[in-house]
Amino acid sequence: MNPLGNKKVGATTAILLLLVCVFCVFPFLWMLIISLKTGTQTYDPAIWFFTPTMDNFRAVFEDRHAMDYLKNSAIVVLLTTLISIFLGGLAAYGFARFEFKKKENRAFWVLSLRMLPPMASVIPIFVMASMLGLLDTHLVLVICYMLFNIPFTIWMMRSFFEEIPVALEEAAFVDGASRFQVFVKIILPLATPGLIATAIFCIINSWNEFVFALFLTSADASTLPTTVTLFLSVSGVAWGEMSAIGIVTILPVLLFAMVVQKYMIRGLTFGGVK
Amino acid sequence: MIRSYFKKRPHLVYIMPAIVILGALTIIPTIFLYGLSLTNYELGYPTFDFVWLENYMRLFTGKDAEFWYSVSISLGFMLVTTAIELLLGFWLAVLLDREFKLKFLVFACMIVPVAMTPSITGQIWKLMMNAEYGVLNYFLQFFGGKVIWLSGENAFWSTVLVDVWQNTPFVALIIYAGMRSLPSDPYEAAAIDGAGKLQVFRNITMPLLWPMILLAVIFRAIDSLKTFDIPYSLTQGGPGSTTEFLSLHVYRLGFAGTGWIGRSAAVSVVLLVLTTVISMVLIRLYRKGVENKG
Repeated sequence: MNPLGNKKVGATTAILLLLVCVFCVFPFLWMLIISLKTGTQTYDPAIWFFTPTMDNFRAVFEDRHAMDYLKNSAIVVLLTTLISIFLGGLAAYGFARFEFKKKENRAFWVLSLRMLPPMASVIPIFVMASMLGLLDTHLVLVICYMLFNIPFTIWMMRSFFEEIPVALEEAAFVDGASRFQVFVKIILPLATPGLIATAIFCIINSWNEFVFALFLTSADASTLPTTVTLFLSVSGVAWGEMSAIGIVTILPVLLFAMVVQKYMIRGLTFGGVK
Repeated sequence: MIRSYFKKRPHLVYIMPAIVILGALTIIPTIFLYGLSLTNYELGYPTFDFVWLENYMRLFTGKDAEFWYSVSISLGFMLVTTAIELLLGFWLAVLLDREFKLKFLVFACMIVPVAMTPSITGQIWKLMMNAEYGVLNYFLQFFGGKVIWLSGENAFWSTVLVDVWQNTPFVALIIYAGMRSLPSDPYEAAAIDGAGKLQVFRNITMPLLWPMILLAVIFRAIDSLKTFDIPYSLTQGGPGSTTEFLSLHVYRLGFAGTGWIGRSAAVSVVLLVLTTVISMVLIRLYRKGVENKG
């Protein structure tokens, strides 16, 4: 079943693929290595074997308040994901099961929101939030992240709902169930794997978001990606601590990404490629 | 009245909440942004005046030379990264499109760049590209080379390299999925007709893969046009303003140091218009392709 011809993996291909793997993983590994080195060791890339130290991790949790960043990230990500899944899931069902005027135009309008530059939204939102006294709160980030999580959920869940046979619903209608009962009792249980995958993608995207977090928070609600601002000057950068907090930031998303590996392509394309 | 209105349009109950929220979240800030771009509002000053089109006049009469530089490198960055990622991604997809046992491992490795927080990506590479203590130069020294990765000359191309590292697996995964879903009938027909390899590729494979390729281009072109996270943590737009992409230009005008919100709003309107036009063209092309097929 391979229309492009049966190809075998020769030695050259194997080596190339190995190189690709190394190239993809190396930066992560290097950051891990640096985070386990002591201060002076971080300035010598020739040291490959050393006794790992946890000092950098201890330092970022004790002196750099990594726990606060972690907590802020978790609160914002969880709230925005819950709300987006609820609202987006409902809308996705609407797009999947009803026929109405200009349906595709509306769906593509929703998709086009994904293309908006956050840099254009963040300026007016910054000014408005400062008028309302919402700067540096979890709430403002939760709201802003809905801007990309709801469109994503709509497109993603629509593709999952459309895979469920309509006949199942029709059978329930015959038995006298209402549309909403059908949605809750039949569709949602069947779409649970899709819902979980979609939620995890929302978590990953919100966790990684940087522009809104950088502009709209300063101390009380700062999320993990904004920790890069702690290490901007090139001279005297604490490479070890910088790497340690980087590892703290990316480890959760990497784990989540491995969980949804099966749905990765679908998630990356807004449900466009299954 | 209202009851019967909703009864006739049962979909509204489902889609309304999301659409209303999305509409409010985009339309209100956008109008506000246009308004701000007509003022001389500055951070920290309580009053401001409407200066109408002055901010735009400054941009388009060339008084702000850095603006045109930002536009050109942003567009250049978009074209270069999209082209490289597409070619490399296609090549990688072809490599992957065969059976072998450890495929899952290759995929697991490819997901690392895809999932990595972009701002942290910039940081990791800043670490690796350091001229003195960086691991890249450590490797290069075995071949007798040394590159000042983040110098004025090289910073743009180093940023391209980091973007390529982060996003090529994404393109490869999409095109790979496309190759896997190719139907086998047209290939059998072509084999019977005795079509050459190149003909098969041009007349069968390419048209069938076209929607996937376009999808990858849409995401990559738009995202690289508005790139911020990676250059922010990698170069801060520097040295000087050599890698000051449009988003970073907005950031520097409006927030870092100066606080000219009015002027930076005008620049971000330009960015908004650019992304909107490009994404509209690409999405229209994509819809045409998909709807013709189905």
